[in-house]
Amino acid sequence: MKKNAVLLILILVLTIQLLNVYGVQRFPKPEFESGYVQPDTLQPDTRAELLAIMDIVVLTVALAVISWLVLKKRSRIGVFCTSVLSLVYFGFYREGCVCSIGAIQNITLAMFDENYVIPLTVIAFFVIPLIFTLFFGRTFCAGVCPFGAIQDLVSYKPQKLGTRLNAVLGLIPYLYLGLSILYAATGTDFIICRYDPFVGIFRFDASFGMFLFAGILLVSGIFIARPYCRFLCPYGVLLNFISRFSWRHMTITPAACIKCRLCEDSCPYDAIDMPVPGKNPEDRAITLRKLILICLLVPFFVLLGGYSTSRLHETLAGVNGKVHLAKSLLEPTTNNGQPETFEITAFKSSGKPVSQVFSEASAVIRQFYIGSWILGCFIGLVFGIILARQLIIAYQADYTPNKGTCFSCMRCVDYCPVTPEEVKS
Amino acid sequence: METPENDPKINRRKFIANGARASVLIGIGGLAALVAKKTIAGQTVWQLDPAKCIQCGRCATNCVLTPSAVKCVHVYAMCGYCDLCGGYFKPETKTLTTGAENQLCPTNAIKRKFVEDPFFEYTIDEPLCIGCGKCVKGCGAFGNGSLQLQIRHNICVRCNQCSIARSCPADAFSRVPANQPYLLKESGQEENNNKK
Amino acid sequence: MTNQASSASTRKLLQNIAIASAIFAVILCVLIIVNFIQLKRADPLNSKVLTTLVERLHANQDDESLRQEIRELDLLARKAFFTNQWQVRMGGYLLFVSLLVIVICVKATDLMQKTLPDVPSADRRDFWHLRKINRLWVIYTGLFIVILSLLIVLLTHRELGKNLELAARGSSEKEPAAGTDLNTRTTPGTMPKGIAADSLKADSAGTQAPGNVLAGINPDGYPSLQEINGNFTSFRGPGGTGIAYQKNIPTSWDGKSGKNVRWKTEIPLPGYNSPIIWKDRVFLTGASETRREVYCIDLNSGKILWRKTVEKIPGSPAQEPKVISETGFSAPTMTTDGRRVYAIFANGDLIALDLEGNEIWTKNLGIPLNHYGHSSSLIMYRDLLIIQYDQRGSGSVMALAGKTGEVVWKTNRSVKISWASPVIIHTGKRTELILAADPMVASYNPADGKELWRINCIEGEVGPSVAYADGVVYAVNDFSKLSAIEIGDTPKLLWEDTDYLSDIPSPLATAKYLFVVTSYGALACYDAKTGTKYWEQELGTPTFASPVLAEGKVYLMDKKGVMHIFMADQKYTVVSESPLGEGSSCTPAFAEGKIIIRGNKHLFCIGK
Repeated sequence: MKKNAVLLILILVLTIQLLNVYGVQRFPKPEFESGYVQPDTLQPDTRAELLAIMDIVVLTVALAVISWLVLKKRSRIGVFCTSVLSLVYFGFYREGCVCSIGAIQNITLAMFDENYVIPLTVIAFFVIPLIFTLFFGRTFCAGVCPFGAIQDLVSYKPQKLGTRLNAVLGLIPYLYLGLSILYAATGTDFIICRYDPFVGIFRFDASFGMFLFAGILLVSGIFIARPYCRFLCPYGVLLNFISRFSWRHMTITPAACIKCRLCEDSCPYDAIDMPVPGKNPEDRAITLRKLILICLLVPFFVLLGGYSTSRLHETLAGVNGKVHLAKSLLEPTTNNGQPETFEITAFKSSGKPVSQVFSEASAVIRQFYIGSWILGCFIGLVFGIILARQLIIAYQADYTPNKGTCFSCMRCVDYCPVTPEEVKS
Repeated sequence: METPENDPKINRRKFIANGARASVLIGIGGLAALVAKKTIAGQTVWQLDPAKCIQCGRCATNCVLTPSAVKCVHVYAMCGYCDLCGGYFKPETKTLTTGAENQLCPTNAIKRKFVEDPFFEYTIDEPLCIGCGKCVKGCGAFGNGSLQLQIRHNICVRCNQCSIARSCPADAFSRVPANQPYLLKESGQEENNNKK
Repeated sequence: MTNQASSASTRKLLQNIAIASAIFAVILCVLIIVNFIQLKRADPLNSKVLTTLVERLHANQDDESLRQEIRELDLLARKAFFTNQWQVRMGGYLLFVSLLVIVICVKATDLMQKTLPDVPSADRRDFWHLRKINRLWVIYTGLFIVILSLLIVLLTHRELGKNLELAARGSSEKEPAAGTDLNTRTTPGTMPKGIAADSLKADSAGTQAPGNVLAGINPDGYPSLQEINGNFTSFRGPGGTGIAYQKNIPTSWDGKSGKNVRWKTEIPLPGYNSPIIWKDRVFLTGASETRREVYCIDLNSGKILWRKTVEKIPGSPAQEPKVISETGFSAPTMTTDGRRVYAIFANGDLIALDLEGNEIWTKNLGIPLNHYGHSSSLIMYRDLLIIQYDQRGSGSVMALAGKTGEVVWKTNRSVKISWASPVIIHTGKRTELILAADPMVASYNPADGKELWRINCIEGEVGPSVAYADGVVYAVNDFSKLSAIEIGDTPKLLWEDTDYLSDIPSPLATAKYLFVVTSYGALACYDAKTGTKYWEQELGTPTFASPVLAEGKVYLMDKKGVMHIFMADQKYTVVSESPLGEGSSCTPAFAEGKIIIRGNKHLFCIGK
């Protein structure tokens, strides 16, 4: 009994001390005589949980519908209408967050940060489109992703970019993916969200820079079809990879290709593989030699990439808040005369020891060192694989969509004179 | 076109394709399972901890929304109902009137109402509030700290990565469970009184 | 035919609508951008004009027209802000609608005008050639990226990681080797292993329990400036400039009734040295003609944690030097680098102890030839212990390695005896060590002892240490003058005065004001830059302690033990005058929310 009382007092004392850490009660609460009733502090609720479930349902239904439209109905108009609806729902109604592209970072953070708990919706947004892609190709890009939809809407006079530009710009998404994973894994920033061009439009509100980026992408999108999807989108890298294994992929023609060449220029994304002429043993020998050479060079690419990126690790880590703070504490004399930065003020009021900041920052820099090696190796590997792929000969007779880069937008299908009816007959 | 001797080749190709597909599926599933261990069924929302906040003013400028989703929130339970309110009046103000020259709030978003001698009630007109935190600083420095900055969830668009969070110098922003979306500090009045 | 004609005219119409809305959209875009830039540039809510007007009003409360002007301007500013925001928003919506119209029109014309694609001419460049181009360009890009990244490395590489690691180790409390250090350095009885491990955890959580000050500190490092400023490491605070950075300092107390006195501890031996504070520990010394002691007191409880008798020091003289009673045998204040504490006594005995009171090294500097008794306090620069040893016939300043006591540098000075203490200042460009002794105020590089500059402006038996703020050093001595010296490679005398001259208390400077206290109890405030006298006060009591600035208030202890607290301001505004209940000649030390005052007999902790 006595023991309990002591314990109770101890707890009471502790709680009082704990509460005292917060706000300073300089003035006692008044005792009102006029019968004044203190109003409650309003705390408006956040969006209902149920709506998050609805997002997943809408996503799944939209993916199912569009896959059906692509593979069974083969309808360009249907795809277009679905994409407009998705744009309205995921874009303008849901205001672009959370999206599958950004979810990459949440997944990464969840793997590396023990304290981060990831909502189920985010996992769903990341995984469901991947699974659909594995079965039906990139139907997600065709008409569910609001980013793709808005760019598809504005592409008015798409031009062919030419093989060089395509090859070079097509490398950017790999870099972007690698960097965004590096920054998410170190808990530094979500750069995909930071440089997200279209959320500003969906919300009718954004910083000037965001609007500028969106404007540039949309205006260039009139002449270059889907610039974000093709030359930036990091989720596209994953979809591209997975779609190559897709179980059923959209075809240009419902039956046998008659090689009328009508569709040859129809794809604004340069995603149609032309027929490759028959085997030529001489070519084969030469390319085989080159292929072996490149395969031998891949480890060199990997090491070169890893080395040169690892040299950059301090520059890359400079963005990290902890590193930034430590840097400004380490070199304090530079801002002579100017008032101290908010970061330093906040640090001072936090009562954290300086050594902790330094050791945390150097831990982050170590993470970046390892991370940038991995990133560099990854980029080197990507270069090696892309080079090697250019040498692999896939002989084919027909015009087929490239399973990796095709967005299943169904433009080419409209040009194909072969009709399903003919198949039946 | 297909000749019988091509068949095994096609079968082999099919087998390899199926194998690859299955392994990709396993990969996706594995990744999902890996992160699913740390998942929560509900949502998370962003919120700022007033105990860490230093009122730097970036909430007003760095939100993706204009005006910001961060607003000043008045915790009446903590308020001292002071006549000379550090959150309402500019420092060095001598005449305690509601004249514009005396008001700290740049948008006139705090309403001062007489309750009884010598107490005044202060109410935040949230549509006018831009979340600059000037009043919060004033109240924290001279008063009880009953004015606090909070993200208003009826306005917040729930960015995946809060753009104020990444520029907050005090690291005051964090993801909190959506069923407890506010981090108002309510330094218990009663407890303090008990102590005295 | 008619059908075709009508569809052609509809198409034309749609095209025209699209073109019109495109023009509209472009105009809107320009307007929005202009508006946005306007809002950003004018920033009506933080208008400078308004701020200056309000400041003017504060100076002149009765100016009704000014008041009216502010109100109108404020209304205008707010109006400008909100209308501007509204305009940008509305412009955005209009732009969106016009873009929507364009898209609809264009899509509709597309639908109406179905054209067959051109079949490209057959002479496409062949497959292998395209692939070759692709390969080449991928390789070019790869090379470009590698070169670019190496270029960036060349331009930005600064060994940041290594520097941070070193810095972390230097001021570390999380050093991996900390555990082993601890075991070798503390006697087993004082701190069992388990507690040590616990206290390490407490350290990383940012809370400091008493008894673990040593835990995990690397003996090789030195505290950062931040850490020094967070403590009270020497006479007149960090750097010895009389400025305390602590907050929530109590302003009133009464030693008799015990109001706001947290504890009071009797100090066994007398001494005029002032307490210093490192984290939860207070250090001070006491000495009589036969005995010298160092005390460590727990800041929270006032308990004497340990006392160390300083004895059997090689080279220590058998005979104590002659001192006067106003100086005593332990006038110099101790100093610390958070790893060790250092104390010096009137006979030249110097001792370094770890924070648990274990002797690290000792030394005798030779009997100070000094007719009042040695009184220059110690100060640390990084891991160097700096000693001003201006004695008869041989003035010098030296730096000893804090860890070993070895002399790192020693600079001889041709000066007379000085009782002042060294001051370390950070000018923003460099760190300087400032000493005052007849005939000069001189500055040294504390890292190597090289003289940076000197100026002859002080004479006599110099007692007060210098004050420093905002690029100006202030030196004063009785029967000499008060000088304000703008420092630099060629120091410049800003102004002089002879009205208030001190022989014991040191002056105190802020960027705006200079406060001079004389030992007979007169107090004056000067404009720091011009020397204009703002106010003069007579305290009526002799004052030996030096004033200290904390939270914008000056704390000045008189000999009767009354703390005079006044605003560091152009006007003399007394905040309070709080009696200690016993006399005092020592400068107070400050901790978060607490003041430590050494009275003639007791050590007091003031705090709410």
